[in-house]
Amino acid sequence: MTDLSVLLESRPRPAGRRFALQRLPVSAKVAGLVLLAYAAVAMLAPAIAPYPPNEIFVGSPFEPPSAAFLLGTDSLGRDVLSRTIYGSRTILLMGGAAAGLSASIGGLLGMFIGYRGGVLDEVAMRMLEIIMSIPSIIFALLIVGSLGASAPLVAVTVGLLSVPNVARVVRAATQSVASEDFITAARARGETSLSIVLRELLPNVTGTLIVEFSIRTGYSILFIGGLGFLGFGAQPPTADWGLMVNEGRGTIDASIWPVAAPAAGMAMLVTAVNLFTDGVNRLFGPAEQGGVR
Amino acid sequence: MRVAPIPRLIVTRLALSVLSLFVVSLIVFSAVELLPGDTAERILGREATKESLAALRTQLRLSDPAPERYARWLGGIVQGDFGRSLVADRPVFSYIAGYLGRTLLLGGLALLIHIPLSIGLGLLAAARPDGASDLALSAAVLIGMSIPEFVVGIFLIMLLANDLQLFPPLALIDQAKSFGDVIHMLALPVITLNFAMTAYVVRQTRNSMIEVLKSDYVRMASLRGLSPLRVLFVHALPNALSPAINAIALNASWLVGGIVVVEVVFNYPGLGRLLVESIRFHDVPMIQGAALALSAAYIAVNLVADIATLLLNPKLRTRTA
Repeated sequence: MTDLSVLLESRPRPAGRRFALQRLPVSAKVAGLVLLAYAAVAMLAPAIAPYPPNEIFVGSPFEPPSAAFLLGTDSLGRDVLSRTIYGSRTILLMGGAAAGLSASIGGLLGMFIGYRGGVLDEVAMRMLEIIMSIPSIIFALLIVGSLGASAPLVAVTVGLLSVPNVARVVRAATQSVASEDFITAARARGETSLSIVLRELLPNVTGTLIVEFSIRTGYSILFIGGLGFLGFGAQPPTADWGLMVNEGRGTIDASIWPVAAPAAGMAMLVTAVNLFTDGVNRLFGPAEQGGVR
Repeated sequence: MRVAPIPRLIVTRLALSVLSLFVVSLIVFSAVELLPGDTAERILGREATKESLAALRTQLRLSDPAPERYARWLGGIVQGDFGRSLVADRPVFSYIAGYLGRTLLLGGLALLIHIPLSIGLGLLAAARPDGASDLALSAAVLIGMSIPEFVVGIFLIMLLANDLQLFPPLALIDQAKSFGDVIHMLALPVITLNFAMTAYVVRQTRNSMIEVLKSDYVRMASLRGLSPLRVLFVHALPNALSPAINAIALNASWLVGGIVVVEVVFNYPGLGRLLVESIRFHDVPMIQGAALALSAAYIAVNLVADIATLLLNPKLRTRTA
């Protein structure tokens, strides 16, 4: 081991990842476009929504679709199209925030315990297992129910509840890299653990992180939608898809549109996220990652 | 590396489950501590005088430190004393058993349909990989798992209950007079739950079956002239099943959480709806009881599923060195 050149060895640059998006399956590309369209609608909501989302009696209650109200009106005479458009903002913000939170915290935690190993890893894994053995929905209902439902609290709660899932997968990915020469070299150069995690390990688990973020986005959207439906998500009069479905279901005989529009928005969004997840998983995933739920 | 023998694995899992249950009790207790107001205010309501509040607080020893109250509460639970519901003014325990039973009935029925249905569909898809039925199934399954269960439930109610009048829209199981009634009432919630669960198992069964069908020993069996059905069910299926069993185990534990929303959609008097309602009314003893019972069910299902996976997987069973 007199050859010191190993110390200068730098991490291998994963080949061709820069253009990874081009290698996605067609279905995932289409899904990506759909997701971009959703993002555009959410961002441009004030410009494209024909009415203010929460303004009551812009029409009479339960109007059928017409030129003035493309998707009709709800029980309070609010424009369903405008509320559905604004609802995309609510769910994308909340779902994105939740997924981002779980991917970043879970990612850091997973890399750290995967790299350090030993007792720390052992203890952390047991704790993660215990947290995962408690049903998330009960956890979420208790926390949100006690502290008072609000969109930010729901997003943070749902995000934190997914941290163990992300941490476990990232830990496994980290372990497979941690014994490579360039890590040993970095340690011999005297890099700190934090620097090794961020500069050497992170670039090598990016693919895993992208897959996890994508999986968690789909999961969070369904979870947040369910909480909204139960009345434990964004509060009235917010245009929130889960809440809209709940508000409209009692009067579904009068008009199906206040339920059908947010339901379709939700179903298409999650289908697109799932297709996209499938694609990135095929590109980066180590193996079958398991179901979205 | 030696793999731990099965009995030891089971004991470890059991210990972990008890630990989880303990953590759940801590979380349940701390969460309701965060609710605004205290127990005395909740019992006496808004018109209570300062004196009566103070008296009740002394009586209930509410000024004791939280760890002490937690220990007292947990001690009561261990002896089957869950406290009295603030809304119904009856012991919580008398509610839990019935609601838990109904939740298990719904979940059990859903699982009973789920297992043969999803494995069967997986085999159908594997019969002709990338054939028409495979692609159609993949698409259906993807869409099925992307629609939230509350949406599926509402549209099933609209279509099959309101329009075609095949099933009752609400699962008011208290009014059931016979077992047939029960099945009739639970059909829609069971279908709703299966919508969400099918995808993953179909996919796992399909993929592993395709792998196994390509393997040498299966081709050998076909070359020996055994009938295709015999090759499929006797030679290939047992080895293709373990990923599917894993997926079913995951679904079984998902079910305990997913059932909450479905119970609310169909007004089904199960533990999930009880929990949601009692959180709405700030009925603390009922929240604690329902959350604990539901979590215990989840942990138990997880445990059983884990052990079943362990015992049903021939690879894990025989590998000793």
